Amino acid sequence: MLSAICSNDFVDMKIDQLIGIFTESLEELPETPLDGATRYKDLKAWDSLAVLTVVDEIDMEYGVLLRKADFQKLATLQDLYEFVNARVENA
Amino acid sequence: MANSSFSGVRIGGVVTCVPTLEKCIDDEVDLFGGNEKQIARLKKTIGLNRRRVVEAGTTAVDLCHRAATRLLAASGVELGQVSAMIFVTQTPDYLQPCNAAVLHGRLKLPTSCAALDVNLGCSGYVYGLWLAHMMVQAGGCDRVLLLAGDTMSRLVHPKDRSVAPVFGDGGSATLIERSDGGQQAWFSLGTDGSGYDKLIVPAGGQRSPKTESTCLDVEDEDGNVRSSEHLFMDGAEVFNFSITVEPKAVRELLAYADLSLDSVDHFVFHQANRYILTNIAKRLKIDLTKVPMQTVERYGNQSSASIPSAMCGELQAVLCGAEAQRVLLSGFGVGLSWASAIVSLSDLSVCEVIEADSAQ
Repeated sequence: MLSAICSNDFVDMKIDQLIGIFTESLEELPETPLDGATRYKDLKAWDSLAVLTVVDEIDMEYGVLLRKADFQKLATLQDLYEFVNARVENA
Repeated sequence: MANSSFSGVRIGGVVTCVPTLEKCIDDEVDLFGGNEKQIARLKKTIGLNRRRVVEAGTTAVDLCHRAATRLLAASGVELGQVSAMIFVTQTPDYLQPCNAAVLHGRLKLPTSCAALDVNLGCSGYVYGLWLAHMMVQAGGCDRVLLLAGDTMSRLVHPKDRSVAPVFGDGGSATLIERSDGGQQAWFSLGTDGSGYDKLIVPAGGQRSPKTESTCLDVEDEDGNVRSSEHLFMDGAEVFNFSITVEPKAVRELLAYADLSLDSVDHFVFHQANRYILTNIAKRLKIDLTKVPMQTVERYGNQSSASIPSAMCGELQAVLCGAEAQRVLLSGFGVGLSWASAIVSLSDLSVCEVIEADSAQ
């Protein structure tokens, strides 16, 4: 993979880790805690800066570079989690 | 990747001229709909802060003119000794003739001097250095004057948050000359033209000439306003491009030059923004003290002038010193295009930032 520092280092992501990345990247957290069912596009703080930091963290940690179209296609954190892990396994 | 290496060519000096007018994101609360928290977040996360912009009527030729005059005087180079000049810009005075010819006339350079423009932005300085090295090493050109300057602030819509607070202006002049000091230089350059529309001014060229409708303001889904005659940047895609291409380009150039990352004293990247710079450094595991990155917070993203600006503003003392510094220069952006070089710098006759209205 082009962006991987060393692709052998990458392991599957856990859903909690994805929630952690979102928690760090969002300026403001919603009243209901984030979980797999959270529809990220509905979050008030899901702006371009949040997208940027989520893309960056996932690429750094898992070697999967998400595109704008990926976020548009998917809806919940669970979708995103499955999508990233499928890509990690294929790498 | 287009790789090449040179010996017997050196950089003699570099000067960067910045406009005196300073703008700061703190003063642009209206642009962000009164959202001061968002401004604070942009400052903290991306590092957007101050930028220098020209007044209407001042162009890259004017900034580079000042930089070139200072450079030639400080280097003791006579006009008749300049064999060629290259002007890197995407904000030329005219569609025709090229900026290099305009400045050639203003500087009163001899008619024996070759002059041409290079239409590149953030990667353009390194592309220009590469051409200058080829001209000198091929023989016939003992001294090449490289100008790299842009006034991107004139191309952004003031109500476009994705670009207006990002770009600043600047003009640089660099002297490349024959040397018997045995300096070696390595270059590696690339292009991905499939991304040509990620950073683009859509109208005003022959593909889409200016019309009554190309100048109409349109608000996009994020609430940013621009017309087709303004600069558009797909920030997310350009970010992805930068973090994918840059670390790889740096590693490949080091491998080509057979040098280790640790053997490089300074990494001068195109000053896009602090977030991208720290990100690239982190991916390459470079010590942040080797990566100048204050230039962008001081002057804004200066496009083709950002690398010389960082050299002048942050490495002046060390590059004018006698001890050779191994410096990796790397630019990336509009095209999409990227270019990296490893050069050995010492004893520069001049390496400084000047203000546009300072006495020469």
